[in-house]
Amino acid sequence: MGIDVAQVAINVLMLSSMYILMALGFAILLSVLGIMNFAHSVIYMVGGYICYQLAVVYGLNQWFSLILATVIVGLFGLFLERFCFRPFFGDGNRTMVMTLAIIVLVETIVNILVGTQVRSLPAFVPGVIKGAGISVSADRLVTFIIGAVLTATMILLIRKTMIGQKMLAISQDSVGAALQGINIYKISSTATVVACALAAVSGGLMAAILRLSPYIGDTMLVKAIEIVILAGIGSISGVVGAGLILGALDSCLPLYLSGAATEVVGLCVIILILLFRPQGLFGREA
Amino acid sequence: MLKNMLKIDLSYQKVKYAKIFTGIVILLLLFLIPVFIHKPYYLHIFILAIIYIIVVCSLRTVALSGQVSIGHAAFMAIGAYASGILAKQFGLTPWLTIFLGAVVSMLFALAIGFPFTRVRAFYFSMVSLFGGIAIMNLIRVAEKWTGATSLAGIPPLDSLNIPGIVQITFSNQKAAYYYFILIVALLCLAFLYSLEHSRIGMTWKAISQSHQVASSVGINESRYRVLALAVGCFFSGLAGACYAHYNLVLTPSTFGFLPSIYLVMYMLVGGLGSFWGPVLGTAIFVLVPEIFRWMKEYTPLLVGGIMVIVVFLLPKGMVSLFYRNEPKIRKIHKKEALRYDA
Amino acid sequence: MMLKTEELTKNFGGLTAVNKLDLQVHEGEIVGLIGPNGAGKTTVFNLITGVFRPTSGKVIFSGENITGCKPHEAAKKGIGRTFQAGFLFSDFTVLDNVVASFFLDPRVGFWEAAFKTPAYWKKEAYIRRQALDILRVVGMADVQSELARNLPHGYQKTLGLARALAVKPKLLLLDEPLAGMTQSEIAFSLQTLAHIRQQGMTILMVEHNMEIMKLCDRVVVINFGHKIAEGLPEDIQQNKDVMEAYLGVEDAA
Repeated sequence: MGIDVAQVAINVLMLSSMYILMALGFAILLSVLGIMNFAHSVIYMVGGYICYQLAVVYGLNQWFSLILATVIVGLFGLFLERFCFRPFFGDGNRTMVMTLAIIVLVETIVNILVGTQVRSLPAFVPGVIKGAGISVSADRLVTFIIGAVLTATMILLIRKTMIGQKMLAISQDSVGAALQGINIYKISSTATVVACALAAVSGGLMAAILRLSPYIGDTMLVKAIEIVILAGIGSISGVVGAGLILGALDSCLPLYLSGAATEVVGLCVIILILLFRPQGLFGREA
Repeated sequence: MLKNMLKIDLSYQKVKYAKIFTGIVILLLLFLIPVFIHKPYYLHIFILAIIYIIVVCSLRTVALSGQVSIGHAAFMAIGAYASGILAKQFGLTPWLTIFLGAVVSMLFALAIGFPFTRVRAFYFSMVSLFGGIAIMNLIRVAEKWTGATSLAGIPPLDSLNIPGIVQITFSNQKAAYYYFILIVALLCLAFLYSLEHSRIGMTWKAISQSHQVASSVGINESRYRVLALAVGCFFSGLAGACYAHYNLVLTPSTFGFLPSIYLVMYMLVGGLGSFWGPVLGTAIFVLVPEIFRWMKEYTPLLVGGIMVIVVFLLPKGMVSLFYRNEPKIRKIHKKEALRYDA
Repeated sequence: MMLKTEELTKNFGGLTAVNKLDLQVHEGEIVGLIGPNGAGKTTVFNLITGVFRPTSGKVIFSGENITGCKPHEAAKKGIGRTFQAGFLFSDFTVLDNVVASFFLDPRVGFWEAAFKTPAYWKKEAYIRRQALDILRVVGMADVQSELARNLPHGYQKTLGLARALAVKPKLLLLDEPLAGMTQSEIAFSLQTLAHIRQQGMTILMVEHNMEIMKLCDRVVVINFGHKIAEGLPEDIQQNKDVMEAYLGVEDAA
């Protein structure tokens, strides 16, 4: 049985784009604010649930639900930043405990409201696209396109706009940035809103491709952390590279190894790289 | 003036005696628990709590040297599986394999120690996080190989038979296990406490405060970091092995990503600054959800609520409620961020 | 000869911080190392104590080639140092800072510490006595229970000196020991340094303060990592090259 390189390549791209989309918001918060937002997993999950609620229960158009869910969750980001992050700026331990508390509380609330039964969102674009010997599910292709667009937008925003430059400044030296007159609170709220919005978008899209339950965030969080640490703190574009590497590993290895073994290999690769280069592939020198 | 001096002295003495007195009372209560509580389920919770207390205290020992390991449950797993396999496959008595399990865990820590401890603080946490998940998955892989979904059939502790003096069977005897783990825990905690308040502990704390200064006075940073890791992993392995011979069944998910994070959380919420912080934190987080089990699916809200309260009001952890001189409840200021915080 | 560097060079990427530096320090001497900011003085210290590996060149201490050995090994061989930035064990008390620095001697083993043997307690008492002695010498015995991070800057610097002394060094490397001190603190520190010197300590000192020059037997001036002058303090103060380095060449107005 020959291995269809083109199909494998497409699979890698599809998986990588899912990973990158999930990790992007997390990367922004870690790089700009230095916050390891464990709550990213529940925001992702809530985004999926809100989309489900709007589209399936209320019957709105699914794309519109996705956008609405993104807006709602993005606004929640304002609350998150103001009351959960800002009081603990500079204290990583307390921030971590706070984000863990958020996970516990939100997962339980969702559990109470909706129950643990596994649901699924119908595909955004049903069907499978075949051509030139390769086939790809339309939903995944759409996810890829949206992911690529959003990633490119984020990278451009950070490099070209004032806000982006300010974010870079804060990520390198927050006190110095404040002394330069940059309103770090405004920037941190913007960054949090963007991160939450990105989490919601990926949550909604993933709800259609994977399933939906209050605990889907947990596995996603591990992958996101892997990607972001591999990429390195301070590098948003590095997330693309790291996402591609992990996507490639996770698409190709399962052909030969079991799921758990794939994880082991992937993690060992990451650990080895980190031992020699703790700041990640593209990160700043510590 | 002399009177004032005497007054101060007396109050310190008073505090010391009060502490010793409370300690003895708590110790007595702990030993009397199985006398008053007979329901095996409640004893089970206490046993689990004590096992986790050993693990979290050993986690804190590692953290003393500035390395917070977010993968510590994996070392529990190594001890547990090593002991379980040695007892089940090779027929060795659990009394021996528990110790061997701890040794295996420690050897593993030594093996990965040198490269891992070269990495500083935050990056060490990340590497330990990934390492912990890798180990859990490795166990899954091994299980696939052997075709089992979990390691079952682990022999319980052999009965203790000293003719004329003592005769204890452990099978199905929760009370016996309780006393066993209580004594083990007391010994482990005594050792860890003694270490921390010795020159070794001081050296660890020195490394975590300023590694430049530490090396300038001759401290071999790397060796001491590995030592901390080895000690911490020995005791986690020990606790894991005890768990194995108590639970008699092992599944990888008991030692995965979430449990590791919980361990760190217990330590942080309890309080990093004091030896008793992890004890308090673990006790609260294991016992409270059980006491309030009647709240069913609402119970985690209570846990989350406690976490939020502690993180806002008790920045140094729950244990700071017992500190004498520190300001206890911090006032909530409006603009707190960017204040240089001690 | 206590310390000798031969053609010591350190490149950081494209920047040559230390350039073929030849330095000698004899036993019992106090040698001052001066130079404008950025001349590479702290880097020289870092090279000697092993924080950085030299790109080329040698460091010879008491006849032994210690080039490239690690900082804790340098301490073992008898080199003590202070830090320009005043690094300390900030959460320890003043006394504990010094007690912690008695790491090397006497050596305390793992098991005796864990089981608190009588030998352990004897060693600890001995260390405490010696630590208090050192604190008395530097004049900080009365603040022994203060937390190190609560100390004013001058005291922190002096604590750094106390710490370095705990290593029982043969050679003491002082990196700007008087920086940021008030006049009275400086006067006291000069006394302390003279006292230590009397006891036979060899000192290599980096300083900006010209007063300190009076204390030195010899002064070495470096600029851009290279030695540009060496001699008695009075002569150095008159040296043309030195003045150029510090003040720049006068323009034809």
